[in-house]
Amino acid sequence: MNLKPRLKSSPDDGVVVAVIASVTISAYVLSYWVSQVISTLELLELAYGAVKFFNNPLVF
Amino acid sequence: MNITLLRLYPKTLILIFILMLAIAVEQTSLRDSVYYQLYDVFQWLKHSSWIGMLGTTFGSIYATVEAVHLLSMALLGGTVLVTDLRLLGILLKNTPSELICIETYPYFKVSLLLAIITGIFCAAGVADKLYDMRVFWMKMLSLILASCFAFFIKQPLLTSQPHTQISPWLLKLLALSSLTIWFTVAAAGRWIGFS
Repeated sequence: MNLKPRLKSSPDDGVVVAVIASVTISAYVLSYWVSQVISTLELLELAYGAVKFFNNPLVF
Repeated sequence: MNITLLRLYPKTLILIFILMLAIAVEQTSLRDSVYYQLYDVFQWLKHSSWIGMLGTTFGSIYATVEAVHLLSMALLGGTVLVTDLRLLGILLKNTPSELICIETYPYFKVSLLLAIITGIFCAAGVADKLYDMRVFWMKMLSLILASCFAFFIKQPLLTSQPHTQISPWLLKLLALSSLTIWFTVAAAGRWIGFS
């Protein structure tokens, strides 16, 4: 294996890039799908009025 | 100080620059202007290009190419799943993860290339419909993001050193990010069919 020389106590460039990119991508994509689930549930609440997972003022 | 930072972390600085650029594009009307300029390209693709004509005229050719598209995506999904689930410690625990990353990579590249080529053909036949679909653009953006992540971040790190020298949390984080972004590509692709 070809190991890159690096200074002691300083993290590798590739590792820092991987951490920043992974956290950004995961956070963005997961928040997108959570928002999709929330909007779907809100539509179900509006349609049927029985699925009350969130505080929708239109459903009493 | 800045020169040292540039010498030690060139990739990190490039990534931060790209992230800032993406934020700047979102804050301005640049994305909208590019979107409107692409309208003519999509119209040409559907009505004037030879692939659009082939796809809309001969159903058998369209079906054959779409079958190849689906098979290449199956292979692509297979390589992604095997690699990422091994990194998460779920599959093939007795096989070294380095070996899996190296052995599946050629198949990943070939299947991605094949999926893109056949995907362009499939898109040409319905280009006018796709242009107005939000999920199509979501799929394209997530495909670009997933490919860049695989080629420039994940694979270089996983093949540069033994995985025992990489933090297990980082390996799992890489796998999770890869799975979520490829899941988005697949889900958006299916979503197009129901839009």
